[in-house]
Amino acid sequence: IQYERVGADVTMKCGSMDWDATVTWTANGTDIDESHLNGSYLILKKVDLTQSGQYSCYEGSSWHLKYQTYLRVGTPPKEPLLMCRSNNYPKGFYCSWHLPTPTYIPNSFNISVIHGTKEMVCEKDVFPKNRCHIRYLQLFSTVKYKVTLTVTNALGKNSTTLTFDEFTIVKPDPPENVVAKPVPNNPRRLEVSWQNPSSWPDPESFPLKFFLRYRPLILDQWQHVELSDGTSHTITDAYAGKEYIIQVAAKDNDIGTWSDWSVAVHATPWTEEPKHLTTEAQIAETTSASTSSFMPPPTTKICDKG
Amino acid sequence: GDSWGIFTFLCAALCNLPALPALNCTEELGAGQSIQKTYDLTRYLEHQLRTLAGTYLNYLGPPFNEPDFNPPRLARAERVPSATVDLDLWRGLTDNARLAANYRAYSRLLCYLRALDGQAGTAELRHRLGHFCSSLQGLVLSIASVMSSLGYPLPAGPAAPPAPPGTTVAPNDFLKKMDDFWLLKELQTWLWRSAKDFNRLKKKVPPAVVTLRLEARGF
Repeated sequence: IQYERVGADVTMKCGSMDWDATVTWTANGTDIDESHLNGSYLILKKVDLTQSGQYSCYEGSSWHLKYQTYLRVGTPPKEPLLMCRSNNYPKGFYCSWHLPTPTYIPNSFNISVIHGTKEMVCEKDVFPKNRCHIRYLQLFSTVKYKVTLTVTNALGKNSTTLTFDEFTIVKPDPPENVVAKPVPNNPRRLEVSWQNPSSWPDPESFPLKFFLRYRPLILDQWQHVELSDGTSHTITDAYAGKEYIIQVAAKDNDIGTWSDWSVAVHATPWTEEPKHLTTEAQIAETTSASTSSFMPPPTTKICDKG
Repeated sequence: GDSWGIFTFLCAALCNLPALPALNCTEELGAGQSIQKTYDLTRYLEHQLRTLAGTYLNYLGPPFNEPDFNPPRLARAERVPSATVDLDLWRGLTDNARLAANYRAYSRLLCYLRALDGQAGTAELRHRLGHFCSSLQGLVLSIASVMSSLGYPLPAGPAAPPAPPGTTVAPNDFLKKMDDFWLLKELQTWLWRSAKDFNRLKKKVPPAVVTLRLEARGF
């Protein structure tokens, strides 16, 4: 395999053949025009991604295969994007990374985590691939964690470093199982309930607080409520009959940042059953009873538009 | 002049907190509410410290006021009590041990902060430090009242000087600034830890006293 940069000029020699030997080059089985040859060397100018493939060189008359290689055109890695987060405080944290642009060739990643003078092992996750996790050995540390990610491929390497305190990367996952229900006989209420994210290991000692936001679908502005306790809340100022969209976010009571918003739930407050049709039917029944023939109600439907 | 000797004397004098009398008002509040009060105090102090630390580190100048500043921990800095603890150990602390650790830590930290106050450069800084020290003293007393309402003895105050003389006087200006940096760092970390300590205590010590009193009043 031969790796080359996009835009580079590539020269391929036909193995041990002399420069003035007669050869034929093929790219993925297709003959290459002689204009690309300099003697027996193949010259590819300013290669692009489409030129990746298998290149073979055959001796002129015997058609013996003298040289073969796979050309992979790509780029050296750009500075990777690294993110570290603790969604399971106080158990530990995870770091995940990716490249801002593809390199089109295989890359390998190496991550190092240094805490003071100690080097810690970040265990690579099976899935997703670009992720590793670390268990905290100590809690309430004053020393920062320094995470360095290096990405290497055949054309170069690049790296990025994150330095942070234990407390600053705490960010829970969004609350789970958000449910919003109308409250019977209450046209302006909606009962919302949710659960702690299942990844948060110890809500007893590390309680979460919540942020609820809601709005009717027809408006753009959200209403907000911050709740320091409990996993339910009753909205009491909903517009009657309007469908609402509701989301909840979570945060450790004291440290870190808010989670992303939960999946949105929709709900409409309870509305009274319309009664006027029933009343008209009752009047019609009482009048028809006295005339002994059924009189259709005053509002007539025009069914035949003939 | 024997500056170390003066420092030691000042510290011992400032840190000699009086033994707490059994205050009727705290007993009426009950342990549950005192814990809540103490928790609220740690949050207030943590918030205050952010401003104070920012101002003080700017006063110290670079590199101390740079956000990425991540110096190695020198052995000399160990005299400041550390909040760092093994997770299982922290979980397994008895209420008494948990409270005592907080009490000891803040007593010492208060002591060092007061020493800082005496040397601080600007009037604004001295004012902020002074205000913070008062609030911190309030926290120490609050912890002490929780301990006494739960029947725990107060740990002995730092009667001895914080460290043996001759080994801890900063030999130069830079190392002195490092000491200040770590002091503020430890203080910040302790305030984060205390919020969690008092959360745990809140759950484990229900306000039973308050409940009883409500019953007595016919609720």
